[in-house]
Amino acid sequence: MILIVNTTSDTSITEELKRNFEEKHIEAEIVEAALLRISHCIGCNYCWLKTPGECAIKDDYEIILKKVIHADQLWVISDTALGFLDHKGKNIFDRILPIATMYLKFVGDQMRHVPRYDQRTDIGIIYLGDVEKDYLERWTGRAALNFESNSLGVFGRDEVKEAVSCMF
Amino acid sequence: MHVLIINGSPRVKEYSNTDKILEMFTKGLCENGTTFEQYEVSDVKQWKKIREAYYNNSKIIIALPLYVECIPGLLLEFLETLEPKNDNTGMAFILQSGFAEGIQLRCGETYLEILAAKLGCEYLGTLVKGDNFSIRFFEGEQRNKVTEPYTEMGREYSKNEDFRSGACRKFTGPEVFPAHIRFIVGLLQKTLAKKMFKKIAENWGCTKAIDYRPYS
Repeated sequence: MILIVNTTSDTSITEELKRNFEEKHIEAEIVEAALLRISHCIGCNYCWLKTPGECAIKDDYEIILKKVIHADQLWVISDTALGFLDHKGKNIFDRILPIATMYLKFVGDQMRHVPRYDQRTDIGIIYLGDVEKDYLERWTGRAALNFESNSLGVFGRDEVKEAVSCMF
Repeated sequence: MHVLIINGSPRVKEYSNTDKILEMFTKGLCENGTTFEQYEVSDVKQWKKIREAYYNNSKIIIALPLYVECIPGLLLEFLETLEPKNDNTGMAFILQSGFAEGIQLRCGETYLEILAAKLGCEYLGTLVKGDNFSIRFFEGEQRNKVTEPYTEMGREYSKNEDFRSGACRKFTGPEVFPAHIRFIVGLLQKTLAKKMFKKIAENWGCTKAIDYRPYS
């Protein structure tokens, strides 16, 4: 299953994606996160050490968390600021901590958190506006390490077709 | 010299590892007459004051924990409210993380250079160091052992007005651990560290296994 999380108020992208999914018979779920109440991560570590796997912040992010653990791919559609994702896009990734456990292990030569679930979710970005694209590609590759998965790439608003070609 | 220090951690001051690091850093910073003012991004009520201080100061240090390879969403939200300065303000960063290896922080460090440019400030380097997860759980001497080395880095910043010296680069420690250390640390993670995390969890009132799957 492909999970699309749109943190922008521009639904023309998700409409375009829906048409593509219908044409290509792709199983996907779309979450219009701009309509949801999603806070930033407060770094309390409760999801690791007090209520394992559950975020202490009781807001709409739980909707996304419950879907991510079954998704083969997570695509975040985000506005941009200061050359990067804006805070709404970044919050989607910051709040993902409950899918990891407090336990640690080495993967290659670097330490990582042991994943809580068996599912491995590749990640991709569709962005609106200006970013430092080389940096965002590098960051997405690093962020995927937290999922023990791979980056699907980083695509601008005018590259949605290229992004769709990675959704299967 | 007067320095504006912004603690960019989303964690409240009382539990902020970054704050404990800054306590030690500012001890060294002030030894030779340097003064500072410090604000916390976690306290949204301070945002107006922080904005004013950002526009009124020419030396700025933003201290932050690494969140998913870059800066925390809350800090980003605050920074999005600022206008670029373009007035020769110098901006330096203290980037800290739980993971110990320097390589874990490099992607975040790269963004901080981009960020300084986006804010129209001169990038004055980043003090990069991991292995700080335990600060919150330690008290007294145990905590000081982790945070005290930052006092010397406060002196270093006061002397050079940046984090570009060899001493600052060396402060990071190893980029990756050698294979034999990885083997030993890996074993410790499977044994002693697991017990330690379980103990902390029990002390926090946790009643489930640490690898519990609530949504399976």
